Amino acid sequence: MVVACFYYDFASREAQTPTNMLGSLLKQLLSGLGEIPAEIVEKFRDQKKAIGGRRLQLPDIVKMWVSVTSSQRTFICIDALDECVPSHRLEVLGALGQILRGSPNTRIFITGRSHIRGAVERELGGRAASVLIVSREDDIVTYLRARLGKDTTPEAMDSFLENDIMKSIPEEISEM
Amino acid sequence: MSRAFTDNINSFNGSNNLFFISTDEEPKILAWLSPLEPQVRHQDICEQRVESVGNWLLETKEFKDWYNGSENDGSDHAALFCYGEPGVGKSYIWYERLQAGN
Repeated sequence: MVVACFYYDFASREAQTPTNMLGSLLKQLLSGLGEIPAEIVEKFRDQKKAIGGRRLQLPDIVKMWVSVTSSQRTFICIDALDECVPSHRLEVLGALGQILRGSPNTRIFITGRSHIRGAVERELGGRAASVLIVSREDDIVTYLRARLGKDTTPEAMDSFLENDIMKSIPEEISEM
Repeated sequence: MSRAFTDNINSFNGSNNLFFISTDEEPKILAWLSPLEPQVRHQDICEQRVESVGNWLLETKEFKDWYNGSENDGSDHAALFCYGEPGVGKSYIWYERLQAGN
């Protein structure tokens, strides 16, 4: 099993073009396999013959992905898809939809804010299930205990302060 | 291809042919695929996450169907979209799932 991840970041939106993004996933897939398939080497050598080289296009990447994953279970994880340029988002979702149609071994995990849900479900042609993520009180308590356990100045903590933290922070967050 | 038979090569089987690529060609091919190296954020998330937080997602029907595949009932969801407001932990919850899968 190979996992390829991509993190969208608003501050890097210019560099995170659809080809760069899908190319990055393919690059991770090849690193996970530990080898570069012959057809990709050939494609690379062919494009070098063009003047100044030829940039990779989205359909090329989709084709390579489908071919490489024909015998390889693969997970794509995309974080913060809402931070992507809107026009890029549609292109990327279109390419992911093609990947899903061509590659039964690929599964995709996406996180993002609620407002892109319609686009995700539409562009992936009904292949996406959606789950609402909320912060849960038991998770917050677990997290706080872990962080307090790493306190670098535990001498400044007494049981009163600790109880106050463990009570007020989960309360405040569940009111959000 | 004169350098292809030196020690400084990787060899592998292509579909039909045996291909040789030199060790300096491999990084060029990878850079051609994409100039991006997004792994810094991945490391941050691995370091900051807390064990077991977000495990409830594993128990949802949506997650199980997505992870295991549900081709039999004709509603295969090959994609899972986890959505929510800023700051609820979306970026961390998915890392949890990768660990579970590995």
